[in-house]
Amino acid sequence: MGAVDTSTPPPAAPTSKVRAGGRRLQPNEIRGLIAMAIVVVIALAVLPAILSVYWVTVLTAVAYISVTALGLNLLMGRVGLVSLGQIAVLAMGAWIFSKLSFSTGLPYPIVLILTGLITMVLGTLVGLPALRLSGLYLALITLMLAGAITIALRTMQFPNGGPGFLGNDPNSSAAVRRPSIAMSDPAFFRYTVIVCLIMFLIALWHVRGKAGHAWAAIRQSEPAALAAGVNITLYKLWAFALASFMTGVAGGLMASDVGRLYAISFPTDKSIVLLAVVLMGGIYSLWGALIAGAFYSLLPALLNDWGLPADLLTILFGVGIIQVLLTAPGGLAQQFPRDMKNLGKLIMRLFRRSSAPPDDGRAPA
Amino acid sequence: MPSWQDFQPFIVTGLALGGVFSLSGVGMVVLYRATGVLNLAYGAVGAMGAFIAWALINDHGWPEGVAYLVCILFGGVVTLAYGMAFGPPLAGREPLVKAVATLGLALILLGAMSWIWSDKARSMVLPTTKEGFYVGDVLVNYTQVIGLALGIGVTAFTAAFLRYTKLGTGMRALADDREITATLGVPVRRVEAAAWFGSGILSGAAGLLFSNLVGLDAATLTFLVISSVAAALIARLQSLWVTLAAGMFIGLVTAMATPILSISQYRDMAPFVIATIALLFLSRHGSLATAKGAR
Repeated sequence: MGAVDTSTPPPAAPTSKVRAGGRRLQPNEIRGLIAMAIVVVIALAVLPAILSVYWVTVLTAVAYISVTALGLNLLMGRVGLVSLGQIAVLAMGAWIFSKLSFSTGLPYPIVLILTGLITMVLGTLVGLPALRLSGLYLALITLMLAGAITIALRTMQFPNGGPGFLGNDPNSSAAVRRPSIAMSDPAFFRYTVIVCLIMFLIALWHVRGKAGHAWAAIRQSEPAALAAGVNITLYKLWAFALASFMTGVAGGLMASDVGRLYAISFPTDKSIVLLAVVLMGGIYSLWGALIAGAFYSLLPALLNDWGLPADLLTILFGVGIIQVLLTAPGGLAQQFPRDMKNLGKLIMRLFRRSSAPPDDGRAPA
Repeated sequence: MPSWQDFQPFIVTGLALGGVFSLSGVGMVVLYRATGVLNLAYGAVGAMGAFIAWALINDHGWPEGVAYLVCILFGGVVTLAYGMAFGPPLAGREPLVKAVATLGLALILLGAMSWIWSDKARSMVLPTTKEGFYVGDVLVNYTQVIGLALGIGVTAFTAAFLRYTKLGTGMRALADDREITATLGVPVRRVEAAAWFGSGILSGAAGLLFSNLVGLDAATLTFLVISSVAAALIARLQSLWVTLAAGMFIGLVTAMATPILSISQYRDMAPFVIATIALLFLSRHGSLATAKGAR
């Protein structure tokens, strides 16, 4: 059961008897890892050097939003659960991080991990009804909780060093702190990329491991998974916990990046937009989460740069949801390589026709 | 704790708001029962209708009555168009997929609204708001009366319609089994079209009333749908009368929290909290397992 029909299952769940962790890498997985390494190296070494501070900030947002998207990507693509409130969870993570960083003096990485863990506990509490309710009802509950969190935040605002538990002082302009080794924007961008890389590796490790196989079984058929001895309750909760942990960490990075947070930056419709970009990016591949992050944070900045209204994107994302559900369940992560391959073939054919002596006959894709 | 006097005006507000929650809740339940689609774009469609009516009156000088009619018809036409275009290809999919697809429509409308009308704050005042009467010390305006009356009236009318007309029987049959209904010679497409159009009309009317009672703001109106969904969920997407009662209850609780200062700021959370508790309670007692298709 999933947002998208299961006729195109992800390439997970091999039936071999080898212990899951020890499975040898498939060629396509090796290619994926190499691509991932290239992306990270470019992000760390090249981009901060050639881009202005504005674009580095935009890319920082792309990085932590792609981790948020990764959480939803896992929930929808792997387990088949739909959450309509992930941006509210992100806001929750940002709130907890601000609270912890103003009221404790713990080192930055520890605050980040603590934020993830607290968000994880809260997210798992939300996940509890998922055990009884699933499908439509679960999606609606997450939508309602998102609405409720948005309203609560509007009144509570974010901690900024003020007094009391809520810690909000309307007159204070203190910014949430950044790690001491990464105070400048480019340095913080590198820091964010590394944290996000760790999150993606955790996700990859889960998907390739035992959890991924259990999730695949649950998504295909709950009764069958139950019969095969999969602990459905545990693995569903696990998925919620993992997604919430990642979103919490992303919220922490966001708090540090933005510095001064306002409830108005987390409207309910952003959760729907996140759902749209995750679907458009593709829920059966972890690359989809990266594409989703770029859609969510990079495209509005580009449109702004070109002088176009960002509302056009909202419309585009709306069309995207419907289009993905109707025709392209794999999203761009699946569609784009296929299109490139077809384009390569097309170019090859044109090339062959125009020049008589063919070369080694390999498509440039 | 505020005195009873302080609560009185909010009872009126609550009943009016509850009436409109019920109105849109009933529209959603009817559509869900006939087509299996939970239309989450309900609020967005109504909001767009209200904005169009505002623009027709204030920018183009149309007579108010005609503009309101356009708003209501817009709801019907857009919902029908969506239903005709995307209903059939998604007919065989789970209710969750159908509901998520309507979020696409919601985003399209939301984007269009904030693109065209985000330059300044607007407000919609229906002519019926300017006149009213006193019940005790409380001023009641006619828009509030219409909200409450329409909520109750539409519930009663729809219940009777489903019970006694041929089209209504067709819709109830569709709710049970689409394939068998088709085999029996019920024109499935036509019955579904009627359900889409009817529920769209209600969304237009609800949007018009909400824009007056709550305010003309694209995001607020779009996500008011969550409150109506809450009412529909408490009724397990089945019973019209429970939807009415739940809508009223949600409206009353939301409004009555206003004078209590300690929770006043959080009052808009009421629908979500009520619906979440109701859902968890219903699921404990296994009632949701019998709710068709929503599993």
